[in-house]
Amino acid sequence: MGAACSRKRDQLDNVDGFDRGVSGRYCKSGSSKWLATTFSRPVLEIQREKKKCPSLLELCTHKIREDIDNYVSFSTLPRDLSQQIFNELVKSQRLTDVSLEAFRDCALQDLYLGDYPGVNENWMDVISSQGSSLLSLDLSGSDVSDPGLIYLKDCVNLQDLNLNYCDQISDRGLKHISGLSNLRSLTFRRNSAITAQGMAALSGLVNLMKLDLEKCPGIHGGLIHIKGLTKLESLSIKWCNCITDADMKPLSGLTNLKSLQISCSKVTDFGITYLKGLQNLSVLNLEGCPVTASCFDTLSVLVSLLYLNLSRCNLSDDGCEKLSKLGNLKVLNLGFNDISDACLIHLKGLTNLESLNLDSCRIGDNGLIHLTGLQNLKCLELSDTEVGSNGLRYLSGLCKLESINLSFTVVSDGGLRELSGLTSLKSLNLDVRQITDAGLAALTSLTGLTHLDLFGARITDSGTSHLRNLKNLRSLEICGGGLTDAGVKNIKDLSSLLLLNLSQNCNLTDKTLEMISGLTGLISLNVSNSRVTSAGLRHLKPLKNLRSLTLEACKVTANDIRRLQSAGLPNLVNFRPE
Amino acid sequence: MKKEDTVKLISAEGMEFVIDKEAAMVSQTIRNMLTSPGGFAEAEHGEVTFPEISAVILEKICQYFYWSLQYSRGKETEFHIEPELTLELMMAANYLHT
Repeated sequence: MGAACSRKRDQLDNVDGFDRGVSGRYCKSGSSKWLATTFSRPVLEIQREKKKCPSLLELCTHKIREDIDNYVSFSTLPRDLSQQIFNELVKSQRLTDVSLEAFRDCALQDLYLGDYPGVNENWMDVISSQGSSLLSLDLSGSDVSDPGLIYLKDCVNLQDLNLNYCDQISDRGLKHISGLSNLRSLTFRRNSAITAQGMAALSGLVNLMKLDLEKCPGIHGGLIHIKGLTKLESLSIKWCNCITDADMKPLSGLTNLKSLQISCSKVTDFGITYLKGLQNLSVLNLEGCPVTASCFDTLSVLVSLLYLNLSRCNLSDDGCEKLSKLGNLKVLNLGFNDISDACLIHLKGLTNLESLNLDSCRIGDNGLIHLTGLQNLKCLELSDTEVGSNGLRYLSGLCKLESINLSFTVVSDGGLRELSGLTSLKSLNLDVRQITDAGLAALTSLTGLTHLDLFGARITDSGTSHLRNLKNLRSLEICGGGLTDAGVKNIKDLSSLLLLNLSQNCNLTDKTLEMISGLTGLISLNVSNSRVTSAGLRHLKPLKNLRSLTLEACKVTANDIRRLQSAGLPNLVNFRPE
Repeated sequence: MKKEDTVKLISAEGMEFVIDKEAAMVSQTIRNMLTSPGGFAEAEHGEVTFPEISAVILEKICQYFYWSLQYSRGKETEFHIEPELTLELMMAANYLHT
C-alpha cells in the first residue's frame, strides 16, 4: 500500500522574480501608483471553489489534526501519508515542537516551515532525522542559529534550502552547510552577518543553480567564492549596496547564468563589461545602478537578453541612440530616468518589445509617435509623464495592447476615443483627475477589460452607465467623490468583480451595501469615507468570499465588523477599522 | 437488487461485504478494477479481495462510500472516524484512491 501521492516541490520557485505581484494585498487606500510594482498590476487569481465531497484520506488527515497530541509516531506510515499529515498541521498551524516529535524518522522530503511561528534550534533534531530523504527545507523567518545548521550535515540530498530572514545565522553557520553539494537552490535574503569570508563555504556547492543573497550588505568581495559554480542559472544580489564593479569580475565565467539581479548596487559601466560573455543571460536587473548609456555597448552583445530593467539609473538622452542595438528585448523598463521624446526615437527598431515602462520620464505626445511600429507591445506604462490626449492617437494602432497605465498624465476625455479600438485591453489605469463621465463613453467597446482604475477621476452617477457592459471587470476603483447610491445601481450587476473600491464618495449610504450584496465574488471591498453605518453591514452577509473590508471613517466600529465576521464571513482576514 | 448492480468486497479475514456497485465506484481503484475492459477477473465476477485490509477497516470504508454518495446529493453530514482506526484507515484510503 502507499501509492504515490503527487509531491509539489516547486513552492520555492516563486520566491524569485521581478514580476512578483503584490500578493496578499487586496485593497489600497491610495492611488495604485505607489503600491503596485513596476510592470504588473496585482492580479487577484483566487478561484471560486465549488464545495467538493472530502475524500476519506482528507477526513483521516483532519481527524489526526484534531487529535494530534495522541499520536506518538508516524514513522510506520508510508512517507507520502506522513508528509500529508505534516503539511496539514503546518497549514492549520497545529504543529508544535511537541507534535513535531511524532515525525521523527519519517523520511519526509519537504519541510516547508517558512514563517512558521516558534521554529528554533529545538526543531532541528527531528528535521535532521529525515536524513537523506530530505530534499527541501524552508526555515525562513525562523530563530534557528548557527549551531542549528550542524544538524543539516546528515541531510546530504538536500536540494533546496531557504534561510531568508534568519538573523541568527552568520558565517559560522554557512560552514555547516558547505558539504551539501546536492543543493540546487540556496537563499539567504536579508542577512547582515554574512561576509566575504563566510562565503568561502559556498565554493563546494557545485550543483547550485540558484543563489539569492538579496539585501546582504556585507558580502562585498565574497563572490570570488562562487566563481566555480558554473551551473548557476540565477543570481540575485539586489539591494546589496556593498557590491561594486570588482564583484562583477568573478561572474564573468558563469556562462549558464540566465538571470542576474544587481539592482541598487554600486556597479557602473565598467562592471557591466565583465558580463559580456554571459551568452545565456536573458534577465538583467540594473535598477538604480549608476550606469550610463555606455553600458549599452556591452548589453548589445548579450544575444539572449530579453528583459532589461534600467529604471532609476539616472539615464539621460546622452548616448541613448545606443538603445537601438537592443533589438531582441521583450521587456524594457526605463522608468524614472531623465529621458525625453528625443530618446524614444531610438526605440523604433525594438519591434520585439512586449512591455515598455516609461513611468515618470520627461516624455510627451510627440515622443509616442515613435512607438507606432512596436506592434507587439502588450503593456505600456506612461504614468506621471506629460502625455496628453494628442499623444493617444499614436497608440490606437497597437492592437495587441493589454495594459495601459495613464495615471497622473494630462490626458483628458477627448483623447480616450483613440483607445476605443484597442479591444485586447484588459487593464486600464485612468487615475487622472480631469477624466469625467464624458470620457467613459469612449470605453464601452472595451468589453474585455478586467481591471479599470478610475481612482481620482471625476465620475458621477451618470458616468457609471457606461460601465454596464464591462461584464468582465474583476477590479474597479471609482474614488473621485462624485458617486451616490444611484450610480452604484450600474455597478451592482458586474458579477465578475473581485475587488471594488468606492471609497472617498462621501454620499454613499447603506443602500450601496444593499445593492452590492449580489456581488458574491467580491474578495475586497472598500467604501471608506462614506455614510455607511453599522446597520448596513448585514447586507454584506452573502459576500462569503470577502477577505478584505475597509470602512474607515464610517459609522462602523471594529467590533461591528468582528460580529459580521463571526456571523458568517469566515474568510474575512483584513478589515479596517481594526 | 440485481446481482450485476452489486459487488462483493472481501477483507483479509475473508469477511464479505456486498454493496451497491455505485457506492464501490467511489473508490477510483475499485472503479478501475471493475471497468477496465478485458482486464481484471474482478470485473467478471464482481468480487474484489483485499488481502491487506481488515474487516473492521473495510466496513468503515463501505460506510464512507455510502456517506460520500449522500454528500454529493446534498446531504452534508459529519463522517465519524474512531481515533484508533485513523492510521490504518488512512493507508487503506490511500490505496483505494478514496
